[in-house]
Amino acid sequence: MPEKEVIIIGGGAAGLAAAVACQQKGIEDILIIERGNYLGGILNQCIHDGFGLEKFRTSLTGPEYAQRYIDQVMDKKIPFLLNSMVLNLTPQKEVMVVSRNGLQRYQAKVVILAMGCRERTRGAIGIPGTRPSGIFTAGVAQELINLKDYMVGEKIVILGSGDIGLIMARRLTLEGAEVITVAEKLPYSSGLPRNINQCLYDFDIPLLLSHTVVDIEGNGRLSGVTIAQLGKRGGIIPGSKRKIICDTLLLSVGLIPENELSREAGIVLDPITGGPQADERGQTSVSGIFACGNVLQVHDIVDNVSLEAEYIVEGVVEYLKGKLTKEREIKVELGNGLRYVVPQKLVSIKDTIFSFRVNRPGRKKTLIFEEDQRIIKKKYFLRVNPAEMLRVKLSSSELEEIKTLKVRLV
Amino acid sequence: MKPKNNHFDMVIIGGGVVGCAIARELSKYKVNVAVLEKEDDVGWGISCRNSGVVHAGFNYKPGTLRAQLCVEGNRSFAKLCQEIDVPCKKIGKVVVAQKKEEIEGLKKLKSQGEKNKVEGLQIINSTELKRLEPNVKGIAALYSPETAITSPYLLTIALAENALANGVSFFLNTEVKSIAKLKNSDFRINTNQGKFTSSYVINSAGLYSDKVAHMVEKNEYRIYPCRGEYHVLDKNVSWLINHLVYPVPQAGAGGLGVHLTPTIDGNILIGPSDEYIKRKDNLSITSSVMKMLSAEAREFSPLISPGYIIRSYSGLRAKQVPSSEGGYWDFIIEKSDKINNFINLIGIESPGLTAAQPIAKRVVEIINKKERLDYNSSFNPFRKGILRFEEQDEESKNTLIKQEPEYGEIVCRCEKITKKEILEAINNPLGARSLISIKYRTRAMMGRCQGGYCQTRIMEILRESFKLSPKEINLKGNNSYLLTGYRSKKENKSCQKKKSLSLEEELLV
Amino acid sequence: MEREFVCIICPNSCQLKVEYEGKTIKKIAGAQCSKGEAFVKNEITNPLRVFTGSVLIENGNFSLVSVKTPSPIPKKYLKKIGEITRRIKVNAPVKIGQIVASNLLDNNIDLIATRKIEKKKSLSF
Repeated sequence: MPEKEVIIIGGGAAGLAAAVACQQKGIEDILIIERGNYLGGILNQCIHDGFGLEKFRTSLTGPEYAQRYIDQVMDKKIPFLLNSMVLNLTPQKEVMVVSRNGLQRYQAKVVILAMGCRERTRGAIGIPGTRPSGIFTAGVAQELINLKDYMVGEKIVILGSGDIGLIMARRLTLEGAEVITVAEKLPYSSGLPRNINQCLYDFDIPLLLSHTVVDIEGNGRLSGVTIAQLGKRGGIIPGSKRKIICDTLLLSVGLIPENELSREAGIVLDPITGGPQADERGQTSVSGIFACGNVLQVHDIVDNVSLEAEYIVEGVVEYLKGKLTKEREIKVELGNGLRYVVPQKLVSIKDTIFSFRVNRPGRKKTLIFEEDQRIIKKKYFLRVNPAEMLRVKLSSSELEEIKTLKVRLV
Repeated sequence: MKPKNNHFDMVIIGGGVVGCAIARELSKYKVNVAVLEKEDDVGWGISCRNSGVVHAGFNYKPGTLRAQLCVEGNRSFAKLCQEIDVPCKKIGKVVVAQKKEEIEGLKKLKSQGEKNKVEGLQIINSTELKRLEPNVKGIAALYSPETAITSPYLLTIALAENALANGVSFFLNTEVKSIAKLKNSDFRINTNQGKFTSSYVINSAGLYSDKVAHMVEKNEYRIYPCRGEYHVLDKNVSWLINHLVYPVPQAGAGGLGVHLTPTIDGNILIGPSDEYIKRKDNLSITSSVMKMLSAEAREFSPLISPGYIIRSYSGLRAKQVPSSEGGYWDFIIEKSDKINNFINLIGIESPGLTAAQPIAKRVVEIINKKERLDYNSSFNPFRKGILRFEEQDEESKNTLIKQEPEYGEIVCRCEKITKKEILEAINNPLGARSLISIKYRTRAMMGRCQGGYCQTRIMEILRESFKLSPKEINLKGNNSYLLTGYRSKKENKSCQKKKSLSLEEELLV
Repeated sequence: MEREFVCIICPNSCQLKVEYEGKTIKKIAGAQCSKGEAFVKNEITNPLRVFTGSVLIENGNFSLVSVKTPSPIPKKYLKKIGEITRRIKVNAPVKIGQIVASNLLDNNIDLIATRKIEKKKSLSF
């Protein structure tokens, strides 16, 4: 069985950034395993701009952002496999890959999980009604239009105001379709404010907050949906049902980290993030298996994916040197106002970047890191939004003496 | 032997599991048989949408056809599945009592089963139930070791393909509009795809068997559609149950009650409900029933959470008994009194899947009494399905890929289905070309991402294989187009505007 | 008229409450820097947006190349540029930044490629 120092599962934004960071830190024996026909993953279909504002100080489209890393991979001759799917990952870091060339097992010293995520489906959210054609998750519609030159429909309703739905509202409009409305079940949008502006307001597409789709009609192709308004407790407000005639329903109702391989390898997952529970080095519950990018936690800005990948590669380097020791175990306790925090535990003393999302939108909020009653660090935010991941760095000196850690928002 | 002018000895109306089983049975004889099916593929009426249970036979009144044919079917099921390469597993069933009053019901079922000659039935106590099913609540249960599970769609497809290989003609997208009796006592069957003539007509039209029967004579047959909704759970929770888990059936109900079914592929089904509806084509899933299913499932196993649901769907039963009466009437498998050579199969609901082959044999018996058919010596009972790459061991996988590199391309990531399997499904001998036809034959798109990764890939393979235009790719037959065309060929709305508009005016529109 | 704008100049995404009449701004609240006022002025008089879309490729390893306008263009032209992208075809290979269409709408609007496209390989392997 061939041995590799580092195997990276996934050649998208996270995998590419991790590979480049590994190479920059002197690791030569890398292998990126990508199931698609090309590197770059989902970035290739994200043809809109707004990527790279932080990393490259300019606004790039998805493919341009990807090419910055692909160029480095080609330049440094980092080995990669295309059209190759990882079928199995063991806790001993054996990686089984299938491709047209056959089955191949590799023994890795380190595995970096970078598989990204999948979209939540109609089946998972249980929308009643018939099951006609014309219902797509937004990412699939995006692939069909942007990579395959297909048109998915003419009269579109979009459920979910997440960024993918908003981006697709604009895309479909620019390609001549009629986007009738975007419905969002929460009382606030789950997309970035600039996307609401540029994708909805710009084209006079109504955003219906506290609304959801309660029925789907159509025998062959979709013929219409019924939307209704939701009350404070999430129940349908009587009399608010309204039928919309349309031929396409796009679902932008959430992303789920794709962790089937992680599960099979016995890696412990966090039920809230959907990704592996990780420590501050990016290591999962299985020694030598690290995770970064959407597979660890769903990101909204790709720059953060790259930064996260670079950050966990520091841990990878330490691991390969045999210097990744467990000095302590502190579970990061989640307090009020927060949906989740990554990392979920601290096992050593180092500068640590905490990523987190808040529960609901708010203004003038303070994030508090504390040990019992003692405040370790405070950070003030003028505006917070569940749609925007926040990152805060604590130095090793701030984290050195603590025995417990709680994070909360006030 | 090729038939002339669409004339057949026997025409079977309805390509469900029963129609296809009859086709296969008839192909054992020297007769020209055609199956007329109105949908784009076989089994899309009732057969593909049920729990896939091979019943042992204790649910049915002794002496009825349902009881006899079920037991016969159960006993011969494994052999049939082996012949036509359909998966089947004897996992057993527990009918669980939650209250003391229900134990009497268990005893009645056991006694009824024994009268029907069902083997191995035992009443077990809560301790034994706990051992068999650690995650299921109950005070006692009836354990039936002979109950099995199968794939209802693979079974229907396999029966059809074997019949086809043995000379039966299948006409899909062919809906019967009217039937006339000719002077020479043949039938003329008018369909949306032209006329057929035949000496015999076998009416196995399921939900529409009453309508077809009425095409030749006045009769009392009436089919009421009774809908059952289901939830499908993620394979990750298949550890929750080991057997089929049923409630004690309620007298007068339209179905056997909401139960938990481990499917042959490793999911768990919750369902079905039973609800009489008006329209025979109403396959909606409804909010109230979906909530009810989840609640009922938790009655059995509190560990079941709606978060495990990956999909919900519904199926229909062809019931003869009206809702006011409830319960079941027995199968009707009989030749018409007044019209010669017209055989009706009416009200084939549960255990129609289990009993499909015995039902078919009964139909052949009816015909044989009059005709004395000659055996077809070249009948081949064996049929091979699409090889599942994922089920092979490592060495076989490698060999397969060496021979056919398309086994090395995974198209459906969740279920690990390869491009080779997709191609085989696309090129199926029946000529069914919808996405759902591929789904049923391979399991692609049945995983937790529900086609999120594979659907676009399968669409592309389908389009390339048959040089389809984008609008010709269908989800499930008639009018279920997925795409409206090429993005780049979309007509610009402004082309329709008058040319006299200035550029500025055009832009501001 | 009162409206809220979300400034898109930098990641701060300040939410600006603006009172304006016609094209005259009366009052702006919520800006963290002076660029906010300039942004709102623009939004009211002549909003500009970067167009992104795709164009068909001939003989490439992919069928579409993603494109954008190198700088923001008047918002009112977006749909029209979209229509034009459906009529153009470009030959592979294509480099990122390569101009694939120029001076569209007689208004100095160019489209540049944002994805690297290589020529289709004639041999399969």
